[in-house]
Amino acid sequence: MKVTESIVDNIAILNVEGSIDSKTAKEFEKAALSAINSQAQVIIDLSKVEFLSSAGLRVLLMIYRQIKAQSGKVVLVGVSEEIQEVMSNTGFINFFSIAETLQVGIKLLK
Amino acid sequence: MELKTFPAVIDSLDSIRQYIKAVAQEAGLDKKASYNLLVAVDEIATNIILYGFQEAELEGVIDVTTEKTDNFLKVVFEDDAAPFDPTKRELPDEEDFDLPLDERPIGGLGIYLTINGVSEFLYEYINNRNRNIFIVDIKQ
Repeated sequence: MKVTESIVDNIAILNVEGSIDSKTAKEFEKAALSAINSQAQVIIDLSKVEFLSSAGLRVLLMIYRQIKAQSGKVVLVGVSEEIQEVMSNTGFINFFSIAETLQVGIKLLK
Repeated sequence: MELKTFPAVIDSLDSIRQYIKAVAQEAGLDKKASYNLLVAVDEIATNIILYGFQEAELEGVIDVTTEKTDNFLKVVFEDDAAPFDPTKRELPDEEDFDLPLDERPIGGLGIYLTINGVSEFLYEYINNRNRNIFIVDIKQ
C-alpha cells in the first residue's frame, strides 16, 4: 500500500493505492491522522484500493470520529462496488459522503 | 484437492489473498462472491497470524487446502497454534449497526465479515490442529 498526500484549496487529498489490511492499516491511519490535523476537510481517494479489511474499516471509523470532533468533513472517492457493499452491510456507508470522482468530491466540500 | 503452505507471518496476507483470488476465479465465482471470500480468508488468516503465532511468540505455517466440486468451493486453513474458535466470539448484531459510528462497539467486526462473506463458515479442532473452513456455493 502507498499513501500520498496533497493539498488543494484547503482540502487535504489522500491518495491510497493497494490493499488496506492488518499489515498496512497502521500506515494508512498515520497518514490520515496527519492529513486531518493539517486540514478540516479531507478527501480520501480509494479508487486504486482493491481490498479493504476490517482493519481498514477501523481506520475509517477513527477518521470519522476525529473529523467529527473537529467539525470537519470527509469525503471518500472512487470506492469500488465490492468495498461499498461491505461498508453498506456494516452500516459504515451511512456516515460517509461518497463521490465517484475527485472533482465531484471537491464540489461536495464547497 | 490442492495444498499450499504459507508461513504464519503478516507478510503472507497478500500472497494468501492472491492465491485464493486465483482459486476463486478458476472456480468461476463472480467478482462479488470472490471479493467476499477474500475478506473472509483475510480476517481469519490475520487472527491466526497475529494471535495464534505472533502474540504467542510461536513460528509456524498455515496449510491452505482448496477443493472444488460442481456445487461449491471449499477452502480449509489448518494450523498448529493454540485452539481458537472464531465462531465463539460475540458478533455485532443489527442493533449495533444502527448505532451512530461514534457509539459503536468495534469488536467482532472481522468475524462478522467472515461469516457473512461465505455461504458457510465452520471451525473444528482435530488432531491438535485448528481447522477453519470456508464454503462458497457455486451458482449453476
